[in-house]
Amino acid sequence: MTEFKTFPNEESLCEYFSSLGGWTDPEKVVPLKGASAHEVAVGPVHAGVIEPGHFRFQCMGENVYNLQIFLGYQHRGVEDEIVRADGMIARQIALAETCAGDTSAAAAAAFSEIMERAFPARFPEPAPKELALRSLLIELERVANHVGDLGALAGDVAFLQTQAFCGRIRGEYLNMTAHLAGNRFGRGAIVPGGLRVTLSEEKAQELKNWIKRIKPELDRALKLMFDNHTVCDRFDGTGTVSKETARAIGLVGVSRRASEDFNGDVMARALVRRIEIEEAHAKIAALLAGEHPCRGEARHEEKSGEFFAVTSTVPAWRGPLVHAAAFTRDGKMIKYKIIDPSSHNWHGLAWALRGEQISNFPICNKSFNLSYCGVDR
Amino acid sequence: MIKALLARLKEGCRTGAFPPAAPSLPPEFRGRPVIDADTTEEDVRKMKAVCPVEHALAFSNGIASIDMGRCIFCGRCAEASPKIRFTKEYRLGVFRREDLIVKAGEKDYTPPRQTDREARALKGSLHLREVSAGGCAACELDANVLGTPAWDMARFGIRFAASPRHADAIYLTGPVSANMQTALDKTYAAMPEPKFLIAAGACAISGGLYTQGNLPAEPALFIPGCPPHPATTLEALLRFTS
Repeated sequence: MTEFKTFPNEESLCEYFSSLGGWTDPEKVVPLKGASAHEVAVGPVHAGVIEPGHFRFQCMGENVYNLQIFLGYQHRGVEDEIVRADGMIARQIALAETCAGDTSAAAAAAFSEIMERAFPARFPEPAPKELALRSLLIELERVANHVGDLGALAGDVAFLQTQAFCGRIRGEYLNMTAHLAGNRFGRGAIVPGGLRVTLSEEKAQELKNWIKRIKPELDRALKLMFDNHTVCDRFDGTGTVSKETARAIGLVGVSRRASEDFNGDVMARALVRRIEIEEAHAKIAALLAGEHPCRGEARHEEKSGEFFAVTSTVPAWRGPLVHAAAFTRDGKMIKYKIIDPSSHNWHGLAWALRGEQISNFPICNKSFNLSYCGVDR
Repeated sequence: MIKALLARLKEGCRTGAFPPAAPSLPPEFRGRPVIDADTTEEDVRKMKAVCPVEHALAFSNGIASIDMGRCIFCGRCAEASPKIRFTKEYRLGVFRREDLIVKAGEKDYTPPRQTDREARALKGSLHLREVSAGGCAACELDANVLGTPAWDMARFGIRFAASPRHADAIYLTGPVSANMQTALDKTYAAMPEPKFLIAAGACAISGGLYTQGNLPAEPALFIPGCPPHPATTLEALLRFTS
């Protein structure tokens, strides 16, 4: 979905950009005082192989009273670099893809949609078949990430079979992405005006055969975990974010769905991921059967103002990924903004941990699995 | 319980034959580039026009070259000019920064061998502390893949340690953002001697698409890629200690 807006001056443009929201600078630590109050500080370098962020667990005994999350360690100026690289499409798209590595395909699609809408003469609307392949790469990205996270959730409650199976199966999804796009994260494939790769009949058939083999293996791995009562007992009722809270703090994507359709605990977020894996496979099957993805209505507006902005929203795996760009009337890019779905959801993780034991942090964290770099940009 | 055991039996052993067998790489895999000896300045200009990275390609003293430490292996230059090709060579890890520069006309590549005795002493027990410093997390994700049964790097005694106190080397990813500089320096300082720095991915080696911060030491191992393929990483880590 893309949206086209015009602005009479730079002030109104800046106002619009700041209204798009995102994660703002965290406030200072709010101290917790009392006889049994203590604080646990974690990060920025974490114990696992993950990104940096600083967490302050303010505890009363074993229970977390409040969690403060400090981000910004990953800030490297992606948006400014994209503006600086104006005119160098290959560089701009590589920058957009490296905003959050696990959302590369969706980011490339979002950037491409903006350029296609802003400069229709230079970047014509891709053919339906190309749009289908874009969609396919985004769906593969979704499944790979959900499988990885469900495996990691299993690992965090020491259910090692599903952890091991999912780790291996996620690798197979990345390998298939590499086969289709030339890169395990789908990088370099999606470009404004189309794609650099094509889906041949032969490859489409390979993909179908592969799904026929891998999907039952994935189903078995997940069934094993969801049928296990000790795992369910750990997931049920842990890290709950109520529907009202989710709405009030503006959660999006998987986390929002878990609070709307289910009760918003770790189990709910795990179930939503399982459902989304099914939905993604149904969509892949439909795309392979020739269904064209719809792209939202294109609105052609008069470029009357001095500036114009284009916003594109792509259904990335964590939730809606929003890219926005502003141009002068003669086509010079002057501002770029990326809003990763994680921007809205980090508050959800802080909320989920309230009143929980600190030992429940890993599974709460994995059930959200939010992006640091996507927010820090 | 019985279900879990049966599923485990059914899954069998999934660890790949690599190494010692060659890894199974997709046909589209882009490995070490080669440049024709007769590449002109004009050819390099054509390649540079489509290259997303600044200063990856160069032409000096009449010789074209590509810096694998900056390259993100997107393959655009190979589309723009037939003078450069990406081979299936996945053994990209090197021990000196200058070895990452591929010059025009170079043939018969053999990966460098480790001569450092302190590094070789770590064979069979290499403990790494991952520091992610301003990257996009793709390098971290593909490092995690090495822990899955498909690659199982623990069978070679290579593990990620939770603390720098337990680590032999820092596995650095990302261009070292300003806000991670102190954390990286402190993590490096917290490691016992002898200690090494491993730069994984274009960002950690050169900043890649971004501007690089300060490295706490000269890396002892460079693993190029964006991100490096797990086969590249595993082979480099094994060669680092052998």
